[in-house]
Amino acid sequence: MTALERKRLVETRKKNSTFWRVVHWLGSLQLALILLATIAIACAAATIAESEFSTKIAQAYIYKAPWFLVWLAVLCINLFAVTLTRWPWEKKHAGFIITHYGIITLLFGAMVGIQTGFEGNVTLHKDKGPVRKVTVNRSIIQVESPNDSALYVMPFDAATARPSEKRPRVFEVPQTNLQIIADGFSDNLIKEEKLVPSESGGPGVMLRFTSPRMGQNLEMPMVLEGQAPQERDFFGLARVVFQSELPPPKSSGDSETQMVFGKFASVVQGEAKASGIRVMLGADGKKITIAPPDMAAMTYLREEVMKSPIQAGGALVTVEEYWPDFEMVGGRPVTKSDQPNNPAALVRIQSAQASEGDSKPALVASPSEGGIRYQLQRSGATLAAGSAKVGESFSTGWADWQVEVLGYYPDAAVRSTMQSGPPLPKGETGVPGFRARLVSPEKKDSETRWVVSGDITSLTDGRNVVRIGYGLELRPLPFAMRLLNFEVPRYEGTETPSNFIATVEFKEDGTGLTKTGTARMNHPASFPGTVLANFTGINYKFSQAEWNPRDLGETTLQVLYDPGWLLKWSGSLAICIGIAIMFYFKPKSKDA
Amino acid sequence: MTSLFRIFAFAAGLLIFCNASHGLDLTGLDSVPIQEGGRKKPFLVFADEALLSLSGKSRYMTDGVKVNSTATVASLWLTPVGWEDQPLILIGNKKFKDQLGLDPAKKLFSYRELAGNEKLRAALEEVSAIRSKNPKASLDVLQREASTVGMRLAVFEGLVSGRSVTLLPTGAAAWSPLKSDDVALAKLREGFRSNNQADFDAGLTELRDEQAREEARFQADAGKIAVEVFYQRLHPFRWAWILYLAAGIGMLVVPGKPGYVLGWSFALCGFLLQLAGFIFRIIVSGRAPVTNMYESVVWVAFGTIFFALVFEAIYRSRYFLLGAVPVAVASLILADTQPVILDRSIHPLVPVLADNFWLTTHVLTITLSYAAFALALGVGHIILGKSLFGGKASPALNNYLYRTLQIGVLLLAIGTILGGVWANYSWGRFWDWDPKETWALIALLAYLFLLHGRIAGRWGGFGMAVGAVLAFQCVIMAWYGVNFILGVGLHSYGFGTGGLPGAIAFVLCELAFVTLAVLRQKRAKKTA
Repeated sequence: MTALERKRLVETRKKNSTFWRVVHWLGSLQLALILLATIAIACAAATIAESEFSTKIAQAYIYKAPWFLVWLAVLCINLFAVTLTRWPWEKKHAGFIITHYGIITLLFGAMVGIQTGFEGNVTLHKDKGPVRKVTVNRSIIQVESPNDSALYVMPFDAATARPSEKRPRVFEVPQTNLQIIADGFSDNLIKEEKLVPSESGGPGVMLRFTSPRMGQNLEMPMVLEGQAPQERDFFGLARVVFQSELPPPKSSGDSETQMVFGKFASVVQGEAKASGIRVMLGADGKKITIAPPDMAAMTYLREEVMKSPIQAGGALVTVEEYWPDFEMVGGRPVTKSDQPNNPAALVRIQSAQASEGDSKPALVASPSEGGIRYQLQRSGATLAAGSAKVGESFSTGWADWQVEVLGYYPDAAVRSTMQSGPPLPKGETGVPGFRARLVSPEKKDSETRWVVSGDITSLTDGRNVVRIGYGLELRPLPFAMRLLNFEVPRYEGTETPSNFIATVEFKEDGTGLTKTGTARMNHPASFPGTVLANFTGINYKFSQAEWNPRDLGETTLQVLYDPGWLLKWSGSLAICIGIAIMFYFKPKSKDA
Repeated sequence: MTSLFRIFAFAAGLLIFCNASHGLDLTGLDSVPIQEGGRKKPFLVFADEALLSLSGKSRYMTDGVKVNSTATVASLWLTPVGWEDQPLILIGNKKFKDQLGLDPAKKLFSYRELAGNEKLRAALEEVSAIRSKNPKASLDVLQREASTVGMRLAVFEGLVSGRSVTLLPTGAAAWSPLKSDDVALAKLREGFRSNNQADFDAGLTELRDEQAREEARFQADAGKIAVEVFYQRLHPFRWAWILYLAAGIGMLVVPGKPGYVLGWSFALCGFLLQLAGFIFRIIVSGRAPVTNMYESVVWVAFGTIFFALVFEAIYRSRYFLLGAVPVAVASLILADTQPVILDRSIHPLVPVLADNFWLTTHVLTITLSYAAFALALGVGHIILGKSLFGGKASPALNNYLYRTLQIGVLLLAIGTILGGVWANYSWGRFWDWDPKETWALIALLAYLFLLHGRIAGRWGGFGMAVGAVLAFQCVIMAWYGVNFILGVGLHSYGFGTGGLPGAIAFVLCELAFVTLAVLRQKRAKKTA
């Protein structure tokens, strides 16, 4: 068909048929240009929004907003209609049609993936039992109806919806005439815990951790309930344990002592010892610098750190003694004067070799009259021990953290309330949550409570109690996962990881089918992983997502279940092949 | 006569004495393997990188004399006394110098000046507090500068204490520094201090012997070390831009066919030299040469010349080379002269990138598409330039631009999709609107818009040239902007800082150029 014949044909069918008029309008280049431009501009705006605000905002307002999805649907219609406008197809249209249908297939595959598949992540730990749920990146609330005690799930992301008193969000409690009204949001909820005397409680202590260098402090109440030890995590850095009796102290790893001189400590001096840690004293004796191998050196004011252990590269460094004007008299170190003429310090370096088990340092405390007795442990070895009464403080040896015993009751309980903290600086994340109250037709002004992410909160109007949970959705899988091994090989002579290798055991519910898979970077593990499963996408893929440098027994895997993958990939292939045909294999038209 | 001879002898002796600190031949040290930064490299490379990270320069100026990196670093290591007072450590950021109360006119500072600076100490503690709270926390400009300066101080300390000069295989993965009572170290130090070549060379021999004592599997690959020394001394990418420049000038200055042949020959030589440079780099690093900003800039220059040569071979037009040369020369000069922004050293890769299959498929395709678009940018400039001077581009020239854009669109589409396939394996999802992904898509949409507008009859050859220049700004954003301006997303291993004023100036110049050309075109149409 010549170009002229085609032009005439199009003219006639547009004149005679509404259907063709619509097809030619929907498949018009004008519409295509508008679509290309608007999608490009919207995406550009979204990346800027993501950089300025957050990924969630960019997704809520653009990438995953209904209008954007509608726009993509219009794009599909445009792509489909434009192939119809070329009807009847000839050989020269092959590349054009393959490309445009490829895009439709790709977008359709993406939709299938979103509708029937999911993405999530799961954190596995070597020492912990099997896990059968993955966290999906979708915020929900779970409401327990007081009528049938069933759990009802509703999608709700307070961080993007940002309920306020002006724009409250109302949830009906199913099977009742109750409503939950969310009318406030905070991205920095702070739990305030108080230690109060209580007849029914066990011995309790209030500890305050302060770090002058970080300008932070943390109050931590601990109450003994029965004989079980109470354990709390300290920023993932350490553990704090409160138990009725202290264990007998265990001997620690190797220790060495170094004598450091201020005046002789030129940059050349300071030879690597067994621990590899170098300690340098300032010429005036005021500062002490600790340089662990492969780590940045830290300088401290010597007076502030005297006798308190400083953690440096897996070891504890303690400045034991200091002489401003050092001299040996009769084989004993003495100081000639108070002037820093020849400052010297005796430094003890206690290496805590990482052994099997928990390598995190721990503060283990037990109640004693009017305070606590404590041990500082690392890898099971006792590094220091002592006691502190109310008002006294001691150093933990974890960076510059100090502990003060604020209060002690022989019979105590912890009373906690949530408060909205000050706005966070950009880039920091706190604990989010929303303020809610339960209302009934009879009572509209019940007490408000903060519903914290990752926790269950009870709301009441005085008569009814409704329990509500808020957080990311947990999705059950039809099998259990257990981390058998996790390895982080390093580049030679450095701490830089060269790979992450997790060995995971999968066990299917019902059939009991067991399979071991290895997920390494760029090479995911999959379950069931059979040819059929791979082909249909009824398959779970596990890719390395995150690791915890402080705990090498732990890894986070990204989980992908995507029945749309085949459509996506064949669409992708079609796009590439189609463009290549269009550009380079087009038969020359006779009348061109 | 004898007295005259004595005077000569004395003068000669004096000459040698005066020349003491520079007289030693250190080339033997250059090829000694050292383990640093996750791999084994020649001492020459170690010294170049160390001096560059300390001072931002590859040579050290002292008393008006340029001292090369090996001599400087060897001196820091072997004769450290006195170095703490030498201005060696770079602080580039003016605001940061103000914050520390340092002379804003100076660039280099001595270790003593900085180590004793209370404000620097406070700044470093602030950064380490932020990092210890959240290792992934983003730092502002001053905090980043503080952490860089802290790193430079650590490099200095590592060298003067000998701690980072890890020359000895140990029978484990990690090498160790020489012990203070090491025989080789003593000889090297003595030879260096007294400027005695024989002592120094004896020290080197001793050091080689000590290195050879360990099992072969813990030692460095001598062949690789030799290749890297050769590569480091050759500067193939520097010679490449000089040759490309010569090609461009040759074609413009010498008229007719001789000029064209001259241009071809120079460009081909530069191209082959660049190819050799990449082969050496691949041998040394064992991976495709597109893993950081420096490599991708050099690679795009290479790709631009490659496409230009291919098209020249087909069309014999000279416009392709004329369009490619400015782009290639500019990017190679940038890579050659901005080592602080574009880090040329070979570092270990983050695990996700350490996969040659995906590096060669996805990254090479994407960067080659940038190269094709860069060539289109060059050709587009020629078309716009012609109309700016009242001329009109021939239909052939317009077709050349279209051909170049086709290559770019095809490669960018394939590369972006391959990125999705890789992400499906590495991150466990095909597409998730990561900024790098999104900007690659935006660039693709921009070029598709351009091609579709032409089919719709909205614009012709001139409009395509305008579009080729404007759409390239999207490529700049995808390539540089996402990593250096937005700084969010999963492609974080490519993130860097610096060069923003330059990038903005480039974009503004391009916009001004396009506006001028469009205005001129409009006026030409009115008068016609």
